[in-house]
Amino acid sequence: MICAGVDAGSRAVKVLLMDADSRDVLGSGVCDQGIRQAELAAGLLDRVLAETGAAGEELACAVATGYARNNVEPADTTITEITCHARGVRHCAPEARTIVEIGGQDSKLIRLAGGGLVRDFAMNDRCAAGTGRFLEVVAERLGAEIGRLGGMSRRSRRPAVISSMCVVFAETEIIGLLAGGGEPDDIVAGVQKAVAARVAAMAGRHVEPPVLFTGGVAMISGMCEALAEALGQEVTVAPDPQMTGALGAALLAAERCADKG
Amino acid sequence: MGECGGQDQECTGAAEPSPCCSAGARAGGDGPLAWFANMIPNALAYAERAKQAGRPVVGIMCEFTPRELILAAGGVPVCLCGGSGEMVGAAEEQLPANLCPLIKSTFGYHATGANPFLEMADLVVSETTCDGKKKMFELMAERRPMHVLELPQTQDREAALELWYGELCKLRRALADRFGVDLTDERIREAIGVMNRERRLRRELAELMASDRPPLTGRQLLELKSTISGIPEDFSQYENALELLRGRTGESEPAGRLRVLMTGVPMAHGAERVLEIVEDCGGLVVCMENCSGLKPILEDVDADAPDPVRAIAEKYYHLPCSVMTPNDRRMDMLRDLAAGYSPQCIIELIWQACLTYDVETWRVRRLAERELGIPYLRIETDYSPSDSARIVLRVEALFETIRERRGE
Repeated sequence: MICAGVDAGSRAVKVLLMDADSRDVLGSGVCDQGIRQAELAAGLLDRVLAETGAAGEELACAVATGYARNNVEPADTTITEITCHARGVRHCAPEARTIVEIGGQDSKLIRLAGGGLVRDFAMNDRCAAGTGRFLEVVAERLGAEIGRLGGMSRRSRRPAVISSMCVVFAETEIIGLLAGGGEPDDIVAGVQKAVAARVAAMAGRHVEPPVLFTGGVAMISGMCEALAEALGQEVTVAPDPQMTGALGAALLAAERCADKG
Repeated sequence: MGECGGQDQECTGAAEPSPCCSAGARAGGDGPLAWFANMIPNALAYAERAKQAGRPVVGIMCEFTPRELILAAGGVPVCLCGGSGEMVGAAEEQLPANLCPLIKSTFGYHATGANPFLEMADLVVSETTCDGKKKMFELMAERRPMHVLELPQTQDREAALELWYGELCKLRRALADRFGVDLTDERIREAIGVMNRERRLRRELAELMASDRPPLTGRQLLELKSTISGIPEDFSQYENALELLRGRTGESEPAGRLRVLMTGVPMAHGAERVLEIVEDCGGLVVCMENCSGLKPILEDVDADAPDPVRAIAEKYYHLPCSVMTPNDRRMDMLRDLAAGYSPQCIIELIWQACLTYDVETWRVRRLAERELGIPYLRIETDYSPSDSARIVLRVEALFETIRERRGE
């Protein structure tokens, strides 16, 4: 039996297929999020099924998560990203006690109890400070590719101070810094520090190690280091961090199959 | 929109939730629910009739204002708290953007003249509660007759109570002079009787929610109230509702709703969005510890006291609003309500820029997690629905966490 986890996020849709019995990953795929969310998610699921050689096979269960989780028509149920990331981490790093998840428009801090269950969580509110969108805006403004941000921040000698925590105002602030002769490297380093500081503020004083970093932003080089510095803790990037939510969703789907079976 | 920082909303849990969770909540097409669904038109018709009969309409904006004195003076006390986000834009022409939406909405109605009750009001009675309201009242008073009560902000000092008593004596004289009535002790006692009855009826309705399977949803219960106090028809409808619902249980639902205690800021008429989200996500709001819920109706006025104004002063002086320091009474009230209503979590609503309630969230969280052993979620928002999807995410995640711990 095949199960699927579909993580329909704000910037990307992620699909992961799993064998319900062995819990082996059979295949996965990612595409950009867009306007026709329902079609994108269903199309990606079909594509991954075909690539896995499982086209035509019936899905035993599909769980959707992510901000567009209610637009995933093939899904049997929806479960929040918080529960899905925790489930994914319990599978790939059962020892983790804290998860930092940064996606396109949200950043979350999830504390885990023994057994990998969610103990509590915190997340950003209306604004996109401390999220992937924040980094994208900066990269766009500096004419840099998002993949190059890590290298740029590593070259920085004097990270700029970004005081504004609102994306719109920060963009204005960056324009000001550039106009004042600020180095793009320093600006990138400053922004990464600012994003990490935002997450650290959300975490409060007590961050129990080990800390695992998940979500698409964990793939951006430099962010993990910035986060480790801000939290004063070692931070490990999850294996394939963009897929953690979809992995958790697939595992929860497999568990539902087991319960039904 | 301004800069945003420190607006995180967190959820936490600490211990096993109570095992009870089934709570159906349909009351059916009952008369009382239909009556209160029409609350604003009913109240408006009542106010218009009263006005024609020569009774003054008196606007109030806070539960500290004693409706007893207004009723005793022959007045119609009407709550003017705004619940509409549409009024915010007009308010921001004069008020800062970073102010509580309840204040802005109320002021927006003032600026646009869109609240018929306010336009009808012969007097507005306000008080020195939070800074936002206090300063907004100054602007409103520029073109409306207003009487400001000085509210002390401590509850454990003799002098503070005396100040408050003096303020109510002044209000009594002001109402008597303005409306040309002889405001006797007898009339005040009669009004105390009316308000005690209203509080008792609403309290008894709220107590129905303590049941394992309450006969109402929190949303329905919130509907059972009026913007004007002392309307006889409302009283008969409260009584009808009690008669219909007492002893009735809601339908049991297979999935089981989670019992929620909501606290924090009041949900003025029209500003029920977060409560609706909580119940749409599978919660059942069994208790509301806020000014639109139980907070102002738990304590009555001593109707037999030798000095009725002093008795009124004492009741209102005890109201556990976050403007009070320290506000231990609120923590006591939450403890009592948690014991009576068996919530499985506490969700606290904070209107953006409501500093006093927001600072107090720390104490409420600690009380919930450490003392009561139930998860706590703080939701800060305003009157615009743009963050609804995020609020849904938090509430769903909170409920998943509670269920997962129970091994569902």
